Amino acid sequence: MSAHGRTEGVVLHEGRGLRSLLADALVGARFVPVWLATGALLLIAAIIAPAALQSTSWAFVLPYMTVLAIAALGQMLVIMHAGIDLSTPGVMFLGGYLIVGVGHHSNGRLGIAILACLGVGVLVGLVNGILVGILQLNPLIVTLSVGYIVAAEGLRYANGLAEAEVPSRLSDFAQNRPLGISAVFWTGAAITLAVAFLLRYTAPGRRFQAVGANPRAAWMAGIHVRAHVVFAYTAAGTLYALAAVLLAGVRVSVDPAFGASYLLAPIAAVVIAGASLAGGLASATSTWVAALALTLLNQMLLILGIATGWQFIVFGAAIIVGMLISGDRIASLLGRLLRPRAAPTRIAPALDHESG
Amino acid sequence: MDVPKVSERRRWLLGLGVTLVAVALLAVAAAFGGTNRTTSAAATQAKAKGGYGEVYKADPKVLAHTLFNAKLLPPAGMSRNIALAAFGRASKKVNYNLALKCWKNDGCTTGTKGKLTVAYVEPFGENVYRHISKMEFILQALTYPSIGKIIYRTAHSNLNQALADFRAMIAQHVSAIVTYPDFADAELPVFKEAKKAGIPVATYAWGYVSGPGQNYTTVVGENVCKLGRAYAKIMNTYVKSGDIAFMGGFPGNPLSAGWQKCEQPALNKSIHVVANEPTNWDASKVQQVVSGILAAHPNIKGWSYEYGLGMAQGAFAAYKAAGKPFNAVLTLRTDDVGMGCAAKKLHNPKLKVYYYTAGNSQIRVALTALMMRLKGAKIPPKIVFPIQLQNEAKRTECVKGYPTEASATSLVPLSLLHRMYP
Repeated sequence: MSAHGRTEGVVLHEGRGLRSLLADALVGARFVPVWLATGALLLIAAIIAPAALQSTSWAFVLPYMTVLAIAALGQMLVIMHAGIDLSTPGVMFLGGYLIVGVGHHSNGRLGIAILACLGVGVLVGLVNGILVGILQLNPLIVTLSVGYIVAAEGLRYANGLAEAEVPSRLSDFAQNRPLGISAVFWTGAAITLAVAFLLRYTAPGRRFQAVGANPRAAWMAGIHVRAHVVFAYTAAGTLYALAAVLLAGVRVSVDPAFGASYLLAPIAAVVIAGASLAGGLASATSTWVAALALTLLNQMLLILGIATGWQFIVFGAAIIVGMLISGDRIASLLGRLLRPRAAPTRIAPALDHESG
Repeated sequence: MDVPKVSERRRWLLGLGVTLVAVALLAVAAAFGGTNRTTSAAATQAKAKGGYGEVYKADPKVLAHTLFNAKLLPPAGMSRNIALAAFGRASKKVNYNLALKCWKNDGCTTGTKGKLTVAYVEPFGENVYRHISKMEFILQALTYPSIGKIIYRTAHSNLNQALADFRAMIAQHVSAIVTYPDFADAELPVFKEAKKAGIPVATYAWGYVSGPGQNYTTVVGENVCKLGRAYAKIMNTYVKSGDIAFMGGFPGNPLSAGWQKCEQPALNKSIHVVANEPTNWDASKVQQVVSGILAAHPNIKGWSYEYGLGMAQGAFAAYKAAGKPFNAVLTLRTDDVGMGCAAKKLHNPKLKVYYYTAGNSQIRVALTALMMRLKGAKIPPKIVFPIQLQNEAKRTECVKGYPTEASATSLVPLSLLHRMYP
């Protein structure tokens, strides 16, 4: 975990006066750039690719950005604890095939199919959480390995399935458009707001953030740090499974590529949204906006009709620019600029001790 | 008189000499010059019946089932003979229990104590199409008592794994390898290694790697350039003028590039190709591409692509989400049951679907070609099937009982398919 991340966490809880104002500025600045960048992207799209903002385009962008946002929210919970989770495609792949296999074309079995899918998400997340949080294994390697195992199980399961279509009630739900907008979008928006509310306005949510911001301080405050890490991975797995349910509904069917594109895109969304890979604070709503920006950018490049190679180049460059102006860097810069004026914090010795 | 007596003897001797010379000349001609043209009618008849352990004859019903039309065979000659021999074997009875076991276990010993080992190496391997190809391969292999072992390997779209699998087969000195080279020329080094090791290699469904006949034994499939021209003919007839779009698989893959470069110049001048996007043969990507192109070009009239089911899963959802009727002409390469059923469900006479064949059964031709090669036959570098696009409205792909992702032109019996996918 980076020093500034932990400093912010402690400063945030320090409370009053100048440092409180500084903390507010830092927290606010961290998450503003993605909103501004998305606004700029919408403006650019309106000028150079207006078709990207038409209803035909939104009909694709909104459901798919929602799936990315839900997966990114899961990733965000893990990244807040300085972790990373690469089991996302595996969970989504097996989850998608469970919807098909357990659902077996029967709307009556849809509920149990969704439960099976969510169950896999919980189970995989729990295993990841125990391996990372309790056994202290490297999250990058562990989650990648677990993801492979889950994907292999998904392949084994998929081999016995001849049909690929999900129960019609799920696809009908995904095609449903209350107020002219995809039901998947509304579902995703509700989940995002719920996560944001829980993190910000509830005691467990605050504790969750405190552990991410400074695990040592949280431990000293009597919070079960390891349990929170296990919970973060478990909740993440559940959100990946939820993303798989929504994606299966949007796509109507599953295939061997199902979920494959969700390995790195959710991580990109979280980082662009202002979170630090070293852990600390993150914003659910900003992550949602970042997912919208990435999906819209992809669609815009397609609509512009530029060559495929250039699409990759522009998309990659946009992510790099997004990271350069990401809130994490802005917050860090602001912290460096403002910190000399502030009184030395009490945690300095602890930081020195940790970094040594 | 003595003189006449001498002349008679001379004449007799002369006649004998002429006869002997004629016989000798005929023997020399038969041995050298005229092997192709001067073979007797009897020899031609024998060749038409078979050779190299094969019979060049197939049930017309089997041919019509898998090729749409019994006449859609490769051109006369060795290519046709191999195809006839391969499809002829499809009528042979095999042990379905063993085939199923072999399919589930990714290989088996056949119990014949045959000395040959054949391998099907799959770089991708993870969809129903490839699973059915695997079963076709196994069923065909089980018709050869000389094959004692069948091996199947899949690399799950991992190039390094695919190359390692191929090398493992070479190291095991298998007798023959059939593959669908998803990574195209990136697999060329292992093809050359196999050739160096004396192992014949064949690809099917126009899984193309450079240098068939030179770097490996043969490629079985259709001429993709002619496929592009066939697409253009449909577009010229039914779209006449306006915007159409191309979609392909992985960026730069030779299959998509092959038909696209031939369709474009064959189109009417009033037809404009407004987009050409890769989809990685991924239905999600198809949905994104179709929705993007629809947004930019709302009056698009036609789509050319390969993957029928991807079109059904992606494009149908994109049109539905966009709230637009799917009034378009589709030219597709594969005849997936799911595509036909989706079109049937839509009940839209303004949606015109034309398709070719997924070509599962071509893997049988590939294996038979290699088995003939092992018996000394000279195999043509390309075994090319003619193209005849089918009209969904007249010959639906939606065949009852077949899995959505399957192709109804497969030669895997329906009863076995049901056991594969209970």
